This record gives sequence, C-alpha cells and structure tokens, in this order.
Amino acid sequence: MGGRDEANGTPDPVEKGFATLSTIRIGVKAMVQKDGELRKAEILSIKQRKDGPSFYVHYVDFNKRLDEWIASSRIDLSHEVEWPQPEKPEKKKAGPSNKAPSKNAQKRVRAESRDVSATPDLLTGKNANVGKAQRPSKAGGKENRGDETPVNLSFGGSEAVSADGTPKPDSDDVDMIDVGFSKDVKEEEKALGLMSREEEIERLRTSGSMTQNPTEIHRVRNLTRLQMGKYDVEPWYFSPYPASFSDADIVYIDEFCLGYFDNKRSFERHRSKCTLVHPPGNEIYRDDYISFFEVDGRRQRTWCRNLCLLSKLFLDHKTLYYDVDPFLFYCMCSRDETGCHLVGYFSKEKDSAEGYNLACILTLPQYQRRGYGRLLISFSYELSKREGKLGSPEKPLSDLGLLGYRQYWRETLVEILMESGRENISEHDLSLQTSMTEKDVHETLVVFNMLRYHKGNWVIVLTDQVVEEHKKRLEKEKLKGARKIDPARLQWKPPVFTASSRTWNW
Amino acid sequence: MTRYGGMGRTRPKKLTSKASIPIVREHEIDLIEDEIQNALQQIETGVEKAEESEFHLQVAISAAAQGKVKDAHIPTPETVLSNLRYDELYPPVFSQPATYIRFSSTVEDCCGPPYCMNEDDDVFLKNFNQKRDAANQCSEDNFEEVMSFFELTSRKEQPYACVDNSPVMSFEEFQEAMDAAVDDSVKRFAKDIYDYWKSRRVSGGNEPLLPTPKAEAGREADDTDPYVCFRRREVRQTRKTRGRDAQSADKLRRLRKELEDARQLVALVRQRELARKEMLAIERQIFMQRSEVKDMKRKLNIKDDDEDLINQRPKKKPVEAPAVQRPAPPQLRMPPKTGTQPAEDLLLLEDVQTEKENEIIRDIKQNITKHIKWNEGYVDFTRAPLSPSPERTYDAAFRPAITTQLPTPPSSESSDNMTDSAIDTRSAIALHKLGPDAMELSEDPSKMPSFRRRIGRGGRLFIDRRNLAARCRVEMDPWKADRFKYDQEDSDEELEYERDQFDIQIMQHRAIMAAKARDQAAAAAVQAHAQAQAAQAQAQAQQAQRRLQAEQLTANNNSPSGGQAGGSNPGPGAAVSTSET
Repeated sequence: MGGRDEANGTPDPVEKGFATLSTIRIGVKAMVQKDGELRKAEILSIKQRKDGPSFYVHYVDFNKRLDEWIASSRIDLSHEVEWPQPEKPEKKKAGPSNKAPSKNAQKRVRAESRDVSATPDLLTGKNANVGKAQRPSKAGGKENRGDETPVNLSFGGSEAVSADGTPKPDSDDVDMIDVGFSKDVKEEEKALGLMSREEEIERLRTSGSMTQNPTEIHRVRNLTRLQMGKYDVEPWYFSPYPASFSDADIVYIDEFCLGYFDNKRSFERHRSKCTLVHPPGNEIYRDDYISFFEVDGRRQRTWCRNLCLLSKLFLDHKTLYYDVDPFLFYCMCSRDETGCHLVGYFSKEKDSAEGYNLACILTLPQYQRRGYGRLLISFSYELSKREGKLGSPEKPLSDLGLLGYRQYWRETLVEILMESGRENISEHDLSLQTSMTEKDVHETLVVFNMLRYHKGNWVIVLTDQVVEEHKKRLEKEKLKGARKIDPARLQWKPPVFTASSRTWNW
Repeated sequence: MTRYGGMGRTRPKKLTSKASIPIVREHEIDLIEDEIQNALQQIETGVEKAEESEFHLQVAISAAAQGKVKDAHIPTPETVLSNLRYDELYPPVFSQPATYIRFSSTVEDCCGPPYCMNEDDDVFLKNFNQKRDAANQCSEDNFEEVMSFFELTSRKEQPYACVDNSPVMSFEEFQEAMDAAVDDSVKRFAKDIYDYWKSRRVSGGNEPLLPTPKAEAGREADDTDPYVCFRRREVRQTRKTRGRDAQSADKLRRLRKELEDARQLVALVRQRELARKEMLAIERQIFMQRSEVKDMKRKLNIKDDDEDLINQRPKKKPVEAPAVQRPAPPQLRMPPKTGTQPAEDLLLLEDVQTEKENEIIRDIKQNITKHIKWNEGYVDFTRAPLSPSPERTYDAAFRPAITTQLPTPPSSESSDNMTDSAIDTRSAIALHKLGPDAMELSEDPSKMPSFRRRIGRGGRLFIDRRNLAARCRVEMDPWKADRFKYDQEDSDEELEYERDQFDIQIMQHRAIMAAKARDQAAAAAVQAHAQAQAAQAQAQAQQAQRRLQAEQLTANNNSPSGGQAGGSNPGPGAAVSTSET
C-alpha cells in the first residue's frame, strides 16, 4: 500500500527528522501554522520569490480546495518533518525531486495490470485527470467499503452541492476484448511509452521550465483568481486552462459563452462582440426563478468544453480526459434583463451503460448555499421520471455532493413516508415514486437509521429527529415559499440518439 | 442484510425490495442502540476513500446528525463581488420570449472573430494607422479579423505547429488560403499586419495566440500531461460485413456529392450577387456622370438632343426624355458577361416607356372586360356607361322596371341630388303613390313599365316613365295579381294626380314644406333646453323609426314597389319626376 501514505500520511513506518528551509523538498510533510494552530501539511510545490521561497501546501485530512501558497515563515521547523517515501527499488531514479517519476512508474505498472483489484485506489484519486487511471477509479468507487467507518453518519443542512464523476472511458466489454486480443502488443507499447516518458520527464526536469514533472502539476491550483459575471471567485482545484494562464493574476470568464481571457483588454473586446445571452441550447424548463437549458456536447463543443474547464476548477474528481461529445449538459440559469446567467449545471451521459442519471453536478461557487443544488438534483430525477428509468449519480461523489445528495434523498423519502394514511410501503414502490434506485433508497433508510428489524419483522421507523426536521422544513417552505421543480413546466422528451451519433465522433 | 434487531439472536428474515414494510414512529418500538454502528458499516458513502476521513466532512456529518443544521457545512473559498463595471460589459439586452427558447447557433456563430486585441495590439495598431491616410485606416474590428484569419488558417494548416517545430506560415501560404469566403478587409490589411503577427508567433514559440486548451498531439507524453484534455474517444467498432461497407461507402459518396452541390450552388449565388452589385455600382456611376454632363452642358450652353444622357441602341433613333431608369427587375438569371452584345442588353428608355404605356392600355382593357363580365345580362343606361350596349337607341335609354336592385348603383352624377334629404321624404311619398304603377310587371318586354332618367335645362334631373300598369293589364298568376290588387285600384285616379306632380304649384308646395320644417327645427333648437331637446329628438327619432317600420311593414305587405319607396331606398324617383305619357 505504498501509494496510500502519500496522501493520508498514516500507516507504514515513515522516516522522520528535522529539516531546514533548504532541505525541504516536494513531498515533505511538515507542521504549518494555520488559523492559529499547527497542521500537518504536505509540500506540493516550491517557488522562489524575491522575498524567499514560497510553498504550496496540502493540509492532511482537509479538502484540497483549502490548499494554498504560504511563506516560509509559517512552516514550523521546530517539529520533525516526515520525509517522502523512498522510491520503489525497481523504479529507482536519482535526484531530489524524483518522487514524481516513481509515482509515474507506479502508475505505469498499474496501468499494465489494471484489472488487478489489489491496486490502491488512492492513486486514481490523485491522478483523476490522468488518462488510464480512470478505469480503476471507477472500480475504486465501487470498492469503497468502509473499514474505518464514520460514527453517527447523518446530516442535514448544507445546500452546497458539488458532486462529480468521470465519463466512462470505454465500455467495459470493448475493453475486455482489447485486453484479450492484443495484450502483448499493448505491453510492448507500454514499455516503449515508459521509456519515452521518462525521457520526457528528464527533459522537463532538466530544462528548468517547470519546477515539477507533469504528474505533480495537477495537484497545484493553476489559476489564482477568476472574474465571472458580477463576482470574483477563487478557484478550488487545477483545471487544464492554457498553461500560460497560470501567470495571470486574474482570469476573465465571459458569463454567457464561458470563454476565457487572461487579459482585461481582450476580455472587454470580446464582450463587445459576443451576442450570446443564454446557454446555446433549447430551454426545456421555465418557472419564476429559473430556466433549464439542454445543451448537446456534440453540437456545442466549444461551449461545453468551456463549461467543463470552468467546472473542473471546482470539481476535484472531474476528468477532462475525453471530449464532451457523449454528454448532454443541463444548465440552470437565473434570468434578468442582461440574460440567463448560468447558476449551475449537471451533465448526463447520452447513453449510460451503468444507469447513471447524472455524471457531474456543480453549483457555481458564487451561487452556493442558496438551495440551487437541491433544485439541480431534483431536476435530474425529474428527467429520470420522464424517461421512466431509475437513476443514480455517477461515483465518486465529492464531499459536498455527498451532503447534498443525502439531504435530497432523505427529504424526498420522508415526504412520501409522512403522507397521511400511509401505513406501509415497499422499497420498490419508494424507488418507483422517486426514480431513485432501490439501492439508494435502501441505503438512505439505513444511513438515517430508519430501517430496523423489530420483533422478527422489518419496519421503517420515522425517528423523532426525522419528523422534527420534516416539520421544520414545511414551516420554512410556508414562510419563504418552496422552490421546487414543477413537472408540468418541463417541456422535454428523452432525446434519442442513433448509434452513429453516439459512436461517430469525428 | 446483516442487521440484527429485537432478540438479536436469530438471523433476520431476508428483506426483498418488493416486500411491504410497515411504517412506525420511534416510540412504537424498543430502541436498540448498538445496532446503529453495525448498520453504518455496511453503507458506502460514494466519496473517494481517501477523502472520507476529511475533517470538515466528518464535522458536517456529525453536526447534521445532532440537528445543528447551520454547522453542517463545509467551508469553501470565498467569492466576493467584483469591481468590474458589469453594466458596461453586459448590456441589458435580453427580452424573454413568451415561448421556451430554442437555439442552435454555436459560440463561434455568436462571438465574431475569435481573436481579441490586447494592449500590445493597441500600440501596434495606433502606430500602424498613423502611417496611413484617413481613408485607409484599419479599425479594431478589421485588425481582429485579420489576426483571426491568420490564427484560424494556421491552426487548420499546421495543427501541430508547436509540437513539430514547423516554421511560422509564410504570407504566400496565407494568400493561397484566401478564398472567396475571406472578407475584403482582411485582404486589404493582411499583408501589412502579417509581419506583426509573425513576430508575435515567433516570440511565443509558434504557439497559437488564441488561448486554447492543449489538445492531444499524438505524443507519448500526452497521456500524463495534465494540460492535455478533450481527447478523442476510440470509436466503437461495428461488425464489418461486405454489405455494410458498400452501403456506407455509397452513402458517404452520395452525401459528399450533395454537399458539394450545395456548396457549388452557394458559390454561384454569391458570384451572381457580386456581379449584380457591380452592375448597380456601374449604373450609378453612369448616372452620376450623366448628371455631371448635364450640368456641364448647361454651363457651357450646349444645346443638342441630349442623346448622351440616355441609354440607346446604336442604330435606333434616340428618344427625348430624362435619363431616369427603372431599376433592374428582380430575376433569377445570371447577368450576362460583359462583352457579349452589350447593346442588346442595354436598358433603353423608349422600351421602358412603351412598356409602361402598353401596361396601362392592357390594364384598361382588362378592366373593361371585367366590367362587362360583371354586368352581363344587364344593360347600363347611365350616362357614358363603361360597357355600352351595342344598340343604344333613344328607346333603349328607357330602362325596364325590373323589381330587383340595380346591379351597380347609378353613376355618381345623380348622387348630389339624392343626398338632399329634405326632398327625399317628400318624394318618397310621391313615389309611393307613383310606384305601384311603375313597378308593374309585364310578360312582354316592350310593354314593361320603364323609366328613363335625363337631365334637363339648369341641371334638373328628370325621370321619364312609360308603359305603366294601367295600360298593360295582362293575365297573371293569382299570387301576383293579389300582390298588385290595391295598386291597380288606385292607378286611375292617381294617374291624373301624378301628371300634376311637376306643376309649379306642387313644387312650390314642397319647397315651402321643406323650408317650414327647417324653420321649425331651428326655432325649437333656440327655445328648448339642450337636455329636453335631446330627449325630444330621441323620442322623435324613435317615433320616426317606428313609423318607418310600420310603413315598411305595410309596404312589404302591399307591394314590392311600396317597400322600395317606404324603405328609404331613394331610387331615381327621389328626384323630381315626370310622366311621359
């Protein structure tokens, strides 16, 4: 499990010792001052500035969106630091910043034996936007069985939603065929690839153009600040905007076409030409607050790519590895006299082999905590109802996504269970009424401790807490008015795609 | 299911999804604490394994569990209001249509040229324009179009420029790429801006100036380069058969041909429109030059037949007229190439004029035939009828009194007289008495009662009549006889009276009555209050109407002629009438 400790900083004996500023290198875990306390942080990048070195740190056990650049003064060198793991013997590479190559090599190994389930899924998390790593990632999501289970799992409240998932690289069966037929060839290719990659890395390392090798780059947030519409937004994660953009103090995003500019003058020139005032698709839903637009990734490639680049800034596990063609994008907008402003969106596979009804979901940060995420989730299930299918979001979920979905699931189920006169119901019926999968229904009931075995029979228990929160919610809705998706306003038929439009990509 | 409840000793029943589960409240069952943790272990969160233990997520989950909804959130970086001048950049131009928006234009369609100037370009353009005269200034839009042309063309021609170190495209290569679709402004400035563009590309290592995400370039490093995104996806293989191959190849070929045809068509249309534009420009130029010539002639006092001011065939005689030209009629043929029989295609004034004249004549003829068609079966006895009857004799001027409406109202000649309402009511009465005889039907057309209108001295209008019923009593069907029963009875005595209808006395009497009525009305107007007057007038009007209706009723019962007279349908009889016999 060599990969695991890199992120978790747990297990396996670690080499510890005192360090100085000059010996600190990438991969070192040191104690760092943060909000008046000391936190363990991993150094991910080092930059030389006029006033001394600056370090990009990831706080262990905190979400990556809190990673930041710090001055050297915040590193507490009076504590021992943890040195990065030594390289695997067979992939030994020299040099101080060699951790990356080794990781790289690991990934290679993994890629070769990608069907071996023992592969640590942590790497996939780290390399979420790195090609082949995708495949195990999905498996990883499924194998997420807990061995360190959180206690008292239950929640409510947070409305900020951002779940994400990854487009499926290939359908599994094709994959299998691939492997079966040409394994040898592939392995040869891999070997070749390995060679040239290492050369590449060596070139990058020695050329001095970058402080890190490619696999490390995506762990460091590349944009500093974002200007979009009326707001200045701080990006959360790396997104593959053009490399030159990382030098810009601020990146301008056009609110309507989602085009990106690292120069204010260019942005203003663009605004004088851009005539788009809403997402470039068909409006399929409209009520007093919001509109939904359906945008086809295939027809609106530029717009959808722009959208994906933007949302990658806020979705850690989103992958932009493949193009946007096989997805439909459902964009939620608020309207005013300047146009329909994108508030959030979710993407959906045109044809999901695994029955996912949603791939990525994001409420833009400037609109979070206002109940929009719940509307997005609700809308995704409304589409599933119209399709006559059960659906579930693609995994993995992000932390915010998990909170958002659990809240929606619980509220939706409780609403049905609280209907007056209802004395019993099957999970199957619950799932039919909500378009949630039976698995999601079951797990939600279990997570909120509502499904119990009592005197030889299964019962659904409406706990006092659940009832209480349901009442609170009803009162709040009475007071503020409920924002809900009204199915009658949805003008939508499930789009049908011919085999060629699904497969004939270019 | 691994959850044990209740006694906790026996293995629980299997829970199937279709099984109906009773819903109970918490107080209705015994609470077993230790089962909770057991249960939760079975449920996966769906979050990345490595992130499940994250501090804020755990805090949020446990806070939510304790009902502290407000604490149950995960801190995220802040967003703040921007100091951007939003209103200037995003003008309020959106008006929501009543129906749901349907939209298929792409970003490229909506954003104009993709290149957007930066400050360096501003400096360059300023210098650039300083060296040029006012007519040849390059606007910002022009500049961006040129730059976009360079960028897009080189992207198309050298998609992997930054990878394979290919040299920056030369201007000659761009010139080759300049096809008809390239805007004129681009062609005008391209050469002068090229060097600037090249210098920018060279200084940037031939990287595109348009910010584009890194595309896969077929390199091994692509796979791990985090900047490379939006890769093509391997196409799912369809099962290959000979039939499918031939079929799809065929389809492709056909598609290709159709697209090519469409493209050709568009290109030709474009060519045609350009030619037309050119033609219009030339015509305008000729016009302007002619007007100059005209002025010049005037100034120099040259008097000739102004042949040079109009289009003309070389051989034909020129036509005297101003040099105004009809715009070319819209037609869907290509303007012929210049050089082939230019004289034939000249638009000549005389042709235009004859054409116009012919058109008018044709129009008139058409109208006449139309009119004749309308009045078919009728004879128009009005003065100067549009469709004169072939044998228009004096006798024919008499019009048989057929008791139907006239096909067309009498010509406007008499309308002045008829609007005189004072006389109208009087004469209606007179006609009422006269009518029955006049409207007598007869089998023999020559014996039919008929009328003639003529205008006498002083513009007086006369209606002559003949063949009145008195002298043409013929056998009729009983219904008809009954209809005219009363008319026949009065006819004799009435005739005597009628003869005096146009005596000076009677006319005077009528004049006096009319005058009196006017005077009375005037006097009443002076005396009565406005309200009273209005009420009175209304009452009167109602009374009059009632009377009129009653009259109409009786008249309808009596005879068609009575109906006609009483029904305020002032026919020719509304004027002074006289009897011929």
